[in-house]
Amino acid sequence: MEISHGSYNQKKFALPVDSEHKATEFRLFSAAAPHMRAFHLSWISFFACFVSTFAAPPLLPIIRDNLDLTATDIGNAGIAAVSGAVFARIAMGTACDLFGPRLASATLTLLTAPAVYCTSIADSPISFLLVRFFTGFSLATFVSTQFWMSSLFSGRVVGTANGVAGGWGNLGGGATQLIMPLVFDLIQNIGATKFTAWRIAFFIPALFQTLSAYGIFFLGQDLPDGNYSELHKSGEKHKDNFAQVFHHAVTNYRGWILALTYGYCFGVELTIDNIIAQYFYDRFNVNLHTAGIIAASFGLANLFSRPGGGMLSDFMAKRFGMRGRLWTLWVVQTLGGVFCIILGQVGSLGVSVAVMLVFSVFVQAACGLTFGVVPFVSRRSLGIISGMTGGGGNVGAVLTQVIFFRGSRYSTETGLTLMGVMMICCTLLITLIYFPQWGGMFCGPSSKGKTTEEDYYMSEWSSSEREKGFHRASLKFSENSRSERGRKIGSAATPIDGTPNTYV
Amino acid sequence: MAINRFLFASVFVCCLVATCDGIVSFNSLKPTLTVTATHKGGVLKAGVDNVTVTWMLDPSVPAGTDSSYKTIKVKLCYAPVSQVDRGWRKTKDDLSKDKTCSHKIVAKPYVAGGAVATATWTVQRDVPTAKYFVRAYAHDAADMEVAYGQTTSADKKTNLFDIEAVTGRHVSLDIASVCFSAFSVVSLFGFFFLERRKTKIAEAK
Repeated sequence: MEISHGSYNQKKFALPVDSEHKATEFRLFSAAAPHMRAFHLSWISFFACFVSTFAAPPLLPIIRDNLDLTATDIGNAGIAAVSGAVFARIAMGTACDLFGPRLASATLTLLTAPAVYCTSIADSPISFLLVRFFTGFSLATFVSTQFWMSSLFSGRVVGTANGVAGGWGNLGGGATQLIMPLVFDLIQNIGATKFTAWRIAFFIPALFQTLSAYGIFFLGQDLPDGNYSELHKSGEKHKDNFAQVFHHAVTNYRGWILALTYGYCFGVELTIDNIIAQYFYDRFNVNLHTAGIIAASFGLANLFSRPGGGMLSDFMAKRFGMRGRLWTLWVVQTLGGVFCIILGQVGSLGVSVAVMLVFSVFVQAACGLTFGVVPFVSRRSLGIISGMTGGGGNVGAVLTQVIFFRGSRYSTETGLTLMGVMMICCTLLITLIYFPQWGGMFCGPSSKGKTTEEDYYMSEWSSSEREKGFHRASLKFSENSRSERGRKIGSAATPIDGTPNTYV
Repeated sequence: MAINRFLFASVFVCCLVATCDGIVSFNSLKPTLTVTATHKGGVLKAGVDNVTVTWMLDPSVPAGTDSSYKTIKVKLCYAPVSQVDRGWRKTKDDLSKDKTCSHKIVAKPYVAGGAVATATWTVQRDVPTAKYFVRAYAHDAADMEVAYGQTTSADKKTNLFDIEAVTGRHVSLDIASVCFSAFSVVSLFGFFFLERRKTKIAEAK
């Protein structure tokens, strides 16, 4: 157990920590401040946002009659629900870099709660689309969740922490398919008519969201040593320059590749959340309740599959380092694509449900595996990289729904098969990711010149910034990220002098 | 020729199997009932206005046609214009999958003898805004449809009426939504204020 020395008071943490005070262990059943408490606060609020965003689909049979919606209206609202978060996630990444995940996520959650409250007063297809659009912005809390976990947990457990937080949040998309019909039935039994009961039902996710934001504000903490605002004032953390943070994020090609590949695991997951109940209802003629339960089970697999992906990423990293993380991500996501193709081809109900469940495990594990790699792409611009990747997920969902699941160009089963093919093709891009200090899928770490973790992360800071000491946190991170070399200590050399090369 | 006969026989058997299975085709039903629906003019309001439905056996059908009729189920059905781009209201020939007539008006036992039966129905509060007509199905003792009658023509274009749904909104709900929304935003600014105060205190130390 390391307790850091420093100019500030010695702090004792409930979990073992590294030199950055990030926890090196992940204890699920602890709520100790600041690490595990932040974990629970962040997954619960992300869960609440998912519940709100996908609260409408299970009640659509009632809402479409009340608001006189056509199938096109419903499709457009579904696309709107996931498209808002594309830019919100990038903005959230920036906000986390600049203001810290605690304020950023509490702010977004509270600002999108009114959209959920106002779903109760929607009275036309346009107002329905608008409330779904603005509610969808809340899915950007995904970025603050991942950023927060990456700030509090060390490389050894960051995949697990990210995977469990992300997975249990995504669970909301499945849980809502069960929760909302139950709440609706309850309110109807109390005496409300159908067209009023669904409106009242929306207050539940809205209140849940509001309360989770309060929890984050009062109980959460950005970093092990304190909140951004306190650390900024005391000088321990310098307030970074937005233009520089943005520049280092968009010029890092790995961020763009991961954004696209995430679009074909998480984007696929969001698409399925929107269309799968209808698919089973129409193709296999199950009743609406059964279709809802099948749809819920897809999302509920997130309980273990996304965390499983994160844990698998950490496990592979222990033996094979970053190369292990990349290979596993490629294999799992490609298999997800294969099962998606099979899902579109299968014609019997039982086999279809079984294939869907296997498919859900692979596609959600791929999401967890992606965020085992993301924390290492950049230290300075972690927020924007997380935001780009997260936003890419939503772009994938929008693209896929527009190309394959809108109108009657393709039947839903053909759409599923084609979506699987597109998954396999886009996942091939992972082969292009290369870290000079650790290698890529097909190449080992660079042996020429100076290629250490320090070189890679220090290249994000100019020499004048280094003179002022702004890079200290990245330096600590580089030391701690040596674990990404795997069991064999790699052939990467330590720098002889103090001027590392710049790596793109 | 043998193949033709085989095909014909298999289709025939399939039809028999279909009826044994309980699949009733709408096209196989004859319109032997005369159905009328009267209501106030203009757009009917759900939960408020009434529709009076009458039905009787068409006098021109041969005697004995109604020997199997046991129950008459009268339903509210969507006009084609209200089914456009709404797959959940689709008309299908297989009556067990047909979604055209999803709202029950009334079900009454069939009284033979050619008398006119009536029923008055208040439009229920969960009926959506759309154009409608009324159709009555005659069911036999096994509760299978054996005949029908409707207020509109065969192409479902004439004699349609409009119903306007309830909004489901209430003033109290509107007020609650607005208040809770405003409270969320105001509490956010409260947080920012608290945060600033905390850092000022930490600075002062």
